[in-house]
Amino acid sequence: MHSRLFQLLALGPVLVACHGCGPQRVSAPVADRQVAEAIRAGLVVAPTSATAAGEAASTGTGWASLKGRFVFAGTPGQPKPLVVDKDTEVCGKTSKIFDQSLRVDASSKGLADVVVFVRKASRVKNPVPETPLVFDQKNCEFLAPVFVARLGQPVEVRNSDPVGHNTNIDGTSFNQLIPAGQTTTYTPNSEMGAPKTVTCNIHPWMKAYVMFRKDGYIAVSAADGSFSIPDLPAGEPLEFQVWHARSTGPSGGLGLERPDLKWNPKGRFVITLQADEVKDLGTLDVPGSAIGT
Amino acid sequence: MTNTQSSIRPAFPVVLAIVALVAAGCGKTQPASFRLNMVQATKTAAPEAGLEMPWAKWSQDRQSQVATILEAMFGTPDEPLALPESGLDESKLRLAAGPVRSDIVGRKNGLYREHCVHCHGISGDGMGPTAAFLNPYPRDYRPGKFKFKSTWRDAKPTHGDLVHVLNQGIVGTSMPSFALLPPAQVDALAEYVRYLSIRGEAELALYTYAEQELGGDEKLPTTREFLVDEILTPVVEKWAAADESQIPIAAVPAGVDFGLPASDLANRESVARGKALFLGDGGCVKCHGVTALGDGQANDYDDWNKAIVEVSKEVAGSLDTSRQAPTGEMSPEKRAEHRTRAEWLHAFVEVLEGDALRPRTIPPRNLRQGIYRGGRRPLDLYRRLYTGINGAPMPGVGPSGPGGKGSVADAEIWHIVNYIRSLPYEFDGELGADRPMVAKDRF
Repeated sequence: MHSRLFQLLALGPVLVACHGCGPQRVSAPVADRQVAEAIRAGLVVAPTSATAAGEAASTGTGWASLKGRFVFAGTPGQPKPLVVDKDTEVCGKTSKIFDQSLRVDASSKGLADVVVFVRKASRVKNPVPETPLVFDQKNCEFLAPVFVARLGQPVEVRNSDPVGHNTNIDGTSFNQLIPAGQTTTYTPNSEMGAPKTVTCNIHPWMKAYVMFRKDGYIAVSAADGSFSIPDLPAGEPLEFQVWHARSTGPSGGLGLERPDLKWNPKGRFVITLQADEVKDLGTLDVPGSAIGT
Repeated sequence: MTNTQSSIRPAFPVVLAIVALVAAGCGKTQPASFRLNMVQATKTAAPEAGLEMPWAKWSQDRQSQVATILEAMFGTPDEPLALPESGLDESKLRLAAGPVRSDIVGRKNGLYREHCVHCHGISGDGMGPTAAFLNPYPRDYRPGKFKFKSTWRDAKPTHGDLVHVLNQGIVGTSMPSFALLPPAQVDALAEYVRYLSIRGEAELALYTYAEQELGGDEKLPTTREFLVDEILTPVVEKWAAADESQIPIAAVPAGVDFGLPASDLANRESVARGKALFLGDGGCVKCHGVTALGDGQANDYDDWNKAIVEVSKEVAGSLDTSRQAPTGEMSPEKRAEHRTRAEWLHAFVEVLEGDALRPRTIPPRNLRQGIYRGGRRPLDLYRRLYTGINGAPMPGVGPSGPGGKGSVADAEIWHIVNYIRSLPYEFDGELGADRPMVAKDRF
């Protein structure tokens, strides 16, 4: 009788011991105190000599262009129809709304919406254009699945629908309500290191990407997969980053098999252009495995 | 005799077990330490092709290095450190940090652990022991986003904004008011929140740098040029600009009298105008609904929860793909790569389960309750409408920055404020035919 009772009692501590104290969080690494103190010693003293670090050396004088065409070697499959459950009297009324994150041209196999940009350039040829770009939405879809602009260039955010949209650009101050049929102007003022999402919280299926760059050395591949970036500084090594929304690479970087360009898995390659050169990378084959579901 | 023996024998180990458990307690008491942002740390440590070290080892190495760098820059929860470039007041931080105690002149120390830590967590990650039981979850300061402030949407709050939230609390949530604390203590706590936020953002910047610039086995630089100029300064500059980033407040137009109830006849035209904007150009109706009960849109997330939702979806999708991959047809190198990636994905699932709270949707506010989290003064409502609510889906009806154009003119926003003030007292969604009906008249 007593032994039963004690056996039951014994269960208590066993249960507590098994369950542990508090929620199960994975173990996180901790700091190495001695190393931290050594680093700190280097942080609190003022720098002894002004080391001229930094900007890419400006060596060349001329200008050059880069172009190429992305071709998808995999099977794109049918685009998924999106769930449209708001404002259905307007949204998806004229045509069904599909997932636009992978657009492959049926005949040429060209891969659209690949972003190519220069990570750092020492010189810029053209002043910031003053003509506004239009970022439009209609049928409760963003008309440009990937949109790029240069800092300081005005962007007219337009709503061509008879219902209100709020256009919410991640990583910026812009989340503004745009009433039916109206336009508001946004001037991008901070540079992005990678494309960011644009969403409409009223219509949650709406999603596009934007990227704003200070130097404007950025291009998005067209429906046939082609892109070109003009007026690049010649005579200096330029590191290009290539990105696609559905890429399986780190941070959306699109890694290709191009040993001649040393194209790495992060989707980057370095190239030095000669003055007045129009460098054509030719057909850039994107294998099916580079694009995720 | 046999009877007694049989009851004593099992009793002994049981007593021993209890004694041992009580004596050992739950874990050893160690000095408090900051916890890494494990979701970000794991996310940005995705294995790379051709990685020679085992993934678990290098990700562990990188994380330890981040922890060490952060300790060098910011100290520990017991001994916070403010580099001169951080703009933080170290004496205030010392008052707020550390275990709860009194100093030599009897002044209370360890305020954060006395008042805040059980919800906001030692690292300011909004994951204190009580966090999982609260709705909404306590704020995670590390992404550096704050909702209730007087500045432009993406600007930092001013010191005054943080103090205001501490003094008022956040009605409708678990955040209490600390107005009964001496002002110096509230001041120290606001500074400590800023410290945790700057530290959290610096940590994020380190991961981003590592992800974008470093190869798998490369170490983060530890020079002053890098840690202070490249990592710390951009974050600090945003905080320093807060005071100059306050939104303009338009003059209250004629016909709006906040001294009188919104239901007063003097406010009637303004309330009607506000209602037209609520239903029309303001677009409020889209989420808050025609009835303003907050029933328009109910399946969206705030930025903190959305980040977890998105990453969870990605990991789940990648795990599915990974399981279906034809490993039999792979070359040995590809198979090793595949295994490393699977290892990473499984580690990620563990982190998401243990180091993140289960994501919750954010329903639009029911405006008929008269509960306004950011404050009930007309000025508070004006600010929420003007910039929207940073980190939440709520968009602004004012311009997105100086010189911009809003969907509603600045002065007109006051009419929407007036209409919102009337909502808790309005009967059946319509103003009465003869006079506005107030709640007390219904009974």
